[in-house]
Amino acid sequence: MFQRWILVIALVASCGHDHGPPRVRKMIEPVADPKRTALRGGGPARSPRIANYKIDARLDAARHLITATETLTWTNTGESPVDSLPFHLYLNAFKNESSALMRSSGGELRMAKASDTGWGWIQLDSVMMGGVELASKMKSTGLPDETVSELPLAQPVIAGQTIEVSFKFTAQLPEVFARTGFKGDFNMVAQWFPKIGVRTGPPGLEQWECQPLQATTEFFADFGTYDVSLTVPNTFQVVATGVLTAATESPGGTRTFTYRAEDVHDFVWVADPFLNQKHGTAKVDDGPPVTVFVYYRGEQEAFANRHLQAAIGAVEKFSQYFGAYPWPVMSVIDPPMDAMFSAGGMEYPTLVTTAGDSVFMRPGIHIPESVTIHEVGHNWFQGILASNEVTEAWMDEGVNEWADAHVMQDLYGPRTSGVDAFGFQADMTALRAAVTADPNSLPQPIATAAYAFIDQAAYGSTEYDYTMRALLTLEHDVGSTKFMAAMKAYAKQFSFKHPTGRDFWTALSQALEQDVGGFAHSAFQEIGGLRLAIRSAACRPAHGVRGVIGDGPAKKTLTETEAPDAGAWSCDVVIQNTGAVHVPVDIELRFVDESTQRLHWDGVGTWQRFPFEHSAKLASVKLDPDDKLMLQTPVEYTYRLEGDGSAALRASARIAAWTQTLLQLVGP
Amino acid sequence: MATSTSNVTVKNVSRKPSKSGRVNMRLTLGDLFGSGTRALTRYTGTLLTVFVVQSLVAMAVMFATAVVLSQAFAHLPVFDEAVDGDLVSLALCVRFAKANLLACTGIVLSAMLLWQLASWFLVGGLNGVLAQRPEGRSATARCFGATGTATYLAYARLAVCSVPGWLLVLFVFATCTNAVSSRLEYALTVADLMMPLAVAILPALALTHVLWTVTDYARVELTLRHDSHDPSLIATYLRSLLFVLRRPLTLAHSAFGWFGFIAITIGYVYLAAGHPMFGAEGAVTLFVIRSGVALARWAIRFAVLAGQVDLGGSRPLPPRRVDVKAKPKLT
Repeated sequence: MFQRWILVIALVASCGHDHGPPRVRKMIEPVADPKRTALRGGGPARSPRIANYKIDARLDAARHLITATETLTWTNTGESPVDSLPFHLYLNAFKNESSALMRSSGGELRMAKASDTGWGWIQLDSVMMGGVELASKMKSTGLPDETVSELPLAQPVIAGQTIEVSFKFTAQLPEVFARTGFKGDFNMVAQWFPKIGVRTGPPGLEQWECQPLQATTEFFADFGTYDVSLTVPNTFQVVATGVLTAATESPGGTRTFTYRAEDVHDFVWVADPFLNQKHGTAKVDDGPPVTVFVYYRGEQEAFANRHLQAAIGAVEKFSQYFGAYPWPVMSVIDPPMDAMFSAGGMEYPTLVTTAGDSVFMRPGIHIPESVTIHEVGHNWFQGILASNEVTEAWMDEGVNEWADAHVMQDLYGPRTSGVDAFGFQADMTALRAAVTADPNSLPQPIATAAYAFIDQAAYGSTEYDYTMRALLTLEHDVGSTKFMAAMKAYAKQFSFKHPTGRDFWTALSQALEQDVGGFAHSAFQEIGGLRLAIRSAACRPAHGVRGVIGDGPAKKTLTETEAPDAGAWSCDVVIQNTGAVHVPVDIELRFVDESTQRLHWDGVGTWQRFPFEHSAKLASVKLDPDDKLMLQTPVEYTYRLEGDGSAALRASARIAAWTQTLLQLVGP
Repeated sequence: MATSTSNVTVKNVSRKPSKSGRVNMRLTLGDLFGSGTRALTRYTGTLLTVFVVQSLVAMAVMFATAVVLSQAFAHLPVFDEAVDGDLVSLALCVRFAKANLLACTGIVLSAMLLWQLASWFLVGGLNGVLAQRPEGRSATARCFGATGTATYLAYARLAVCSVPGWLLVLFVFATCTNAVSSRLEYALTVADLMMPLAVAILPALALTHVLWTVTDYARVELTLRHDSHDPSLIATYLRSLLFVLRRPLTLAHSAFGWFGFIAITIGYVYLAAGHPMFGAEGAVTLFVIRSGVALARWAIRFAVLAGQVDLGGSRPLPPRRVDVKAKPKLT
C-alpha cells in the first residue's frame, strides 16, 4: 500500500503539462504594411528619432546565449557638445551579487527569486567608431555595478551632429528574474543590447541620464527606429517589438526573422518552441484597426482568451481617452506558469507580458485582465509619453493606474470592475484602496526617485496606489469630464516626448484653467496625505436659556419648567484634518427621522465646527458621501452616534456556529 | 444480573466470555449501526445534555466575540455592510480591527482547547454509560460522572501518547505537499488542482482517520478494562492500533460517521448559500437551523461512539489482570 502511494505521489509530481518535443514550425508570412512602415497607417515620423538601431542577433537556444552585431546611429539634438557616450549594459545587472539590482532587491523581486546558478551578463567584444576599435576605452562608471559603461570620445559630438557606433557583443540570458531571461525553453529577451542614455535638461545645459538598473527602477531611452534580424531554431515561435518585415530559412535548421519598429524607445523579443497564438482586432477611430495578438502555451488557453479580450478593450479605450494607438500590432505574452512571476507583468512598446493565470482566478475575478490592461496602458504612459521611469516613476505607473481604473470600469462595470464572482462584487479601485497601505502612513512623498525608496513595498504603495488615489481625488474635485479632457490634452501635447512632472502639472493647470499646483505640492511633494476624521458629534435637546437672568428686582431664575425643551435638538459636529492635503469635503448628516442634511467644509485649516439645530436627533455623520476622496482608507468616515451591536452579534453567531463545528471535530 | 461499580448500578451486558476470557462475537457494520440507533433512542437525554454543554460553550464564544467586535464596530456602519457580504467593507474592517479579530481568533482557539480538555471527561463518561448501560437518569448521571472522572487522567496520558502519531501526520502532509507543490502552484483549472490536492491531503487525512480511530478504541479499552485491568497506556495504544489495522470494519464504521458529519455540513452550507436571513427573525431562524445541524452531527458522532464501545467490548482482554483493582461487587 505504502509503495503504491509513493508511486502515485511520484507520478503526480512528475507529470506536468507535457508539450512533447519541439516541432518545426510553419513558416510565417511577414505582415508588414505595403509602405514598409511600422506605424499604423503610415505617415511621417512621430518622434525625433534620436537613437536608431540596426541589430543582427543569433540565439543559441541550448545555452540561452545571444551573439549579435549592432549599429547605433545617434544624433545630438541638444545645444551643448557631447564628449562621452554612456551605454546601458542592463544584462550585467544579473552578472553577480554586486550589481545594483541584486543589492537593492536582495535577489527577490515581485515574489520571484533570482537563481544562484543562472547568472546573466553582456560582454562587448568590439566597439567601433569611425573605423577605430574602442572596446578597451569603455569604462564602467558605477563599479562594482557594471550596468552603465561610458565611452570617452576623442572628438566631441557637436550640436546637430550624427554619429555611428558599431558593437559586437555576446549576451548570456539569466534564469528569468526581474522580467528578463530564460525558463526552460522560454526566452524573454529584454534589455539585452547596448543602449545609449538620454540627454536631458534645458538647452545648452543638457546632461546624460543613464542610471544603473535597480530593483525599483525601470527604463528611460530616446525614441528611434529599430531594424532587428533574429536568427533562431526553426522550432521556435518568435514575438518581437514592431512588425515582421521578412522571414527566411537559414542554415543549420534556423530561421531569420526581421522586424522593424518605428518611434519606439526599446526593443524586446520572446522565443519559445511551444507558444500558440490567437488574435483579434481593436478598432481605433482614426485609421486601420490594430491587430492584437496573445501568445500562450496550450494549457493557458482559457486565460489567453481573457487576456485577448482585455487587451482589445484596453487598446480601444486608451486610444479613445489618450490618443490613437500609433502602431499596427500589440502583442501580449502570457508567460509559462513557471516563469509567471519572473517574466510576467512588464511593458515594452507594442509587446507586453501579462500574468495572473491561476486556478483561483475564476472568471469574474478580474485580476488577470487588470494585469493585461495595466501593461497595455503603459504603451501610452511611458511608451508614447516617455517620462523618466527612474526619477519620476509615478508618471507612468501611477498615472497609468489611474487610467486603468477608468478602463476597468468601462469594460467590466463600475461596481464589478474588480470582482463579480461567487455572489461577491467589488470595484477594483475600491478593493485596492481597502487592502493597500493608507497613503497618510507612507514615509516618502510620491515625487521620490524610484531608486530612493526605502523598500519595494514603499515604492509600490506610493508610486502605484497613492498616485492613482491622488489623481482620482483631483478628478472628482474638478469634475470627471473636465479632467479627462485635460489628460487627453496633456497626452497630445507630450506624445513622443519626455514629459516631466512639471510638464504634467503645467499642462493640467492650463487645460483645467485652474491652478492645481497647491494640490500637486501637498499630495505629491509632501508626506502626511489626508487625515480626515470626525472628531466629535453630539446632540442635546434645544431649549431656552436656563439659569439666573437679569439684575436687581428683575432678576429671575429660569428652570426646566420656565424654559422647557423646545422639541428640537441642538447638535455640534467637529471635523478635523491633520494631514498635509487639504481638500473640500462634503458631510452628510442623517437624523433619526431618516431626514438628511448636507454640510460643506472648504478644507481650509485643520478643523471645523458645525453647530446646528434640527427637529430630529442626529443619528449619523458621513464624510464624503459621494466617495470623492480616495486619499484615505474610509473606515471611520461614517459614524453613528448610538452604538449598535446587532451586526457584531450576527457576525458572532456565524463565528459561534463554525466554532461548534470545530468543537465537534476535536471532541464529542 | 446487576453489578455495582463505584456505587453505580449497572446492568451486565449480554456478551458471553469464552473460557479463555474472550468474547465470542463477530460484529458486522449493520450491528454497529444498530448499536448506534439503540444508543440514540436509549440515551437521548445524555446526548442532549452533552449537546447543551457544547452549545453553551459555543454561545459563550458568541457573546465574547460579540463584545470584542462591538468594541470596534458599534459606531461604524461599515461593519454592517461587511457582515452583509460587501467585499470592500470586509477588507476595510479586517485592516481596521486586526487586533479585535485576533482577539476573536484567540477566543475561538481557547474554547477549542478547553473543549479538548473537557472532552476527555465527556467521552470517558459517554463510554462508561454506553458500556455499562445504566438505567434511569440518576444512575446514568452517576455512571457518567464516575467513569468520566475515573478515566480522565488516563485519557490525558493517552493524548500525550498519541503525539508521535500526529507528528507523523504532519510529516506525511508536508512531504506529500512538497512533492506536488509546483503542480498546486501552477494549477490552472479545478481539474488541474484536484489530483495534486488529493495527493497532498489524502495520505495525511487517511492517517489522521486511522489515528483518530485508534484513539477511540484505546479510550474504549481504557474505560471497559479500567476496573479489572491495569493496561499500560502505550500497550493499550499499540493494541488498539493492531486491532484497528486487523479489523478494517473499525475504519469503515468511523468513516461512515465522518462522511455523515461532512455531508450534513456541506448540505447546510449549500442550502444556506444565498439566504442571508437579515434581521432578528432571520437571526432566530438561523440559530435554530444551525442548532439542528449541530445536533444532527453530534447524534452521528454519538452513534459511532456507541458502535465503537460495542465493538471494543468484543476485543480480547488485555493480558495484565490486576486483582487489587476495584472488583465488581455483587449487589
